[in-house]
Amino acid sequence: MKDRSSNIAGFWFVLPAMLVVGALLLYPVLSSIFFSFTNRNLLKAVYGFVGFQNFASILQSRDFWNAFANSMKWTAGSVLGQLVVGMLAALALEKIPRFSGVFRTLLIIPWAFPAIVIAFSWRWILNDVYGFLPKLLNAIQITDGNISFLADPQLVFGVALAINIWFGAPLFMINILAALKTVPSDQYEAAKIDGASGFQRFWFITMPHVRRVIGLLLILRTIWVFNNFELLFLITGGGPAGMTTTLPIYAYRTGWGLRQLGMASAITVLLLLFLLILAAFAFRLVSRWERNPTK
Amino acid sequence: MIPVLRKLTSYSIPYAFLGMLAVLATFPLAWIIISSVKSSTELASNSLSFWPRDFTLEHYRRVLFELGAIRNLGNSLFISLSTTVLTIAISAPAAYGIVRFYPKVGQRLTQVLISTYMFPPILLAVPYTIIMITLGLSNTYFGLVLAYLSFSIPYAVWMLTAFYQTVPIEIEEAAYVDRAGRVRTFLSIASPVILPGIVATAVCTFSNAFNEFLFALLFINSSDRMPIAVALYSLSGSECSTGAR
Repeated sequence: MKDRSSNIAGFWFVLPAMLVVGALLLYPVLSSIFFSFTNRNLLKAVYGFVGFQNFASILQSRDFWNAFANSMKWTAGSVLGQLVVGMLAALALEKIPRFSGVFRTLLIIPWAFPAIVIAFSWRWILNDVYGFLPKLLNAIQITDGNISFLADPQLVFGVALAINIWFGAPLFMINILAALKTVPSDQYEAAKIDGASGFQRFWFITMPHVRRVIGLLLILRTIWVFNNFELLFLITGGGPAGMTTTLPIYAYRTGWGLRQLGMASAITVLLLLFLLILAAFAFRLVSRWERNPTK
Repeated sequence: MIPVLRKLTSYSIPYAFLGMLAVLATFPLAWIIISSVKSSTELASNSLSFWPRDFTLEHYRRVLFELGAIRNLGNSLFISLSTTVLTIAISAPAAYGIVRFYPKVGQRLTQVLISTYMFPPILLAVPYTIIMITLGLSNTYFGLVLAYLSFSIPYAVWMLTAFYQTVPIEIEEAAYVDRAGRVRTFLSIASPVILPGIVATAVCTFSNAFNEFLFALLFINSSDRMPIAVALYSLSGSECSTGAR
């Protein structure tokens, strides 16, 4: 079996997938880099090279830095919020003696629906004319007149963030819960006998067992939330006045709204570069964290 | 009596917390389902009542038949099914080939494949748009399915590799003794063993394709070819977004 002919046979098994990955991933990424140096327009086939002009004008644009800051706030807030809520939910589920399965099923529900359903459900609840929440706040006399949660500049970012935490926390919960099941219970009893406090037990027994899962989840979710376009786009459309415009939404507007595909390419290339740096940094941090438990 | 009481209070906090989360998790979706069977007059009234006063399927009838959402549902099914079939047909041989013929390269390769997870979809959107204009694939099902293969194949190969690794080499060697060729062995020995894994991969692929929004929004622009998510999005601009998802 282990001769030259098996290598040739194997080649034919793998070839179609390699071709697809080459044509649909490698080539597009390279061509995206290529177009970031051109003034390609969505509607015109003719284009020319502009060197680093796209990058220069993006880095000088206030809209870009606004989108960058929004992306950072959006990603950090969402992922940390999802971690805290997911962790607390997992700990609570692990503690209760009965109905744990029922609660687990109910709490996974937000994660099980596509972005459009999530976004429309919340937009309906928050709707400033018919929405349940504005009417409820009026009925219990907290507010006087309907609040428009998704149009108010002071509220919109926090509201969108809360929806994303609501959506993503279940994933943290089920993965942390799975990791909690691996903690041997006799360690807790031994610690109790030695007089360890609740916090000490959590920090020195629970945390070392779930640290790896949390590290991995943080990295994967950070990348995903940073790249995600549709949830925020469907909730707010990036508005009002660019207050919830993140980098993917900014690139979408530049490329398909303003039809400047070359410029949009440059934005997405910057996005990828930033992610690569972030990921390299994060993976190093997590592997160090795994080696030194108390740091 | 006292220990029971103490136990009760020590559990009451997690129960209260989980109860609150359960309400928060289920209410928005429950509310939109309830709203979808309420009449327009009741929706416009200032009522906060949970149960509908007069139950109606009018909104569903309107969305599905008058606004053509049934066709968009069909589009979604067709696009997702095509993506799933092509993905499995291309990924299963690749995963098998990696496990059986290139086990050493395989590990590196799957790492590379999973790192494609990091590519922002919006980064691929620009070149895809240009490719589709050039090849005349914009506004076609085929173009959209091709775009979906870009993320579904790396994911499926990665998942299936893990499943093919569990197939013991001994049963394949028995097949070789019986003069089954490599393709026969792959199709009728190794793949049936991991059928549950293939089904799981297919389900994930299908649901990812069904839920995808960005590529569908960019590449399909006539409403009779739109998948359901994009159709609902374009509907919400003109109509009030009540009714079914």
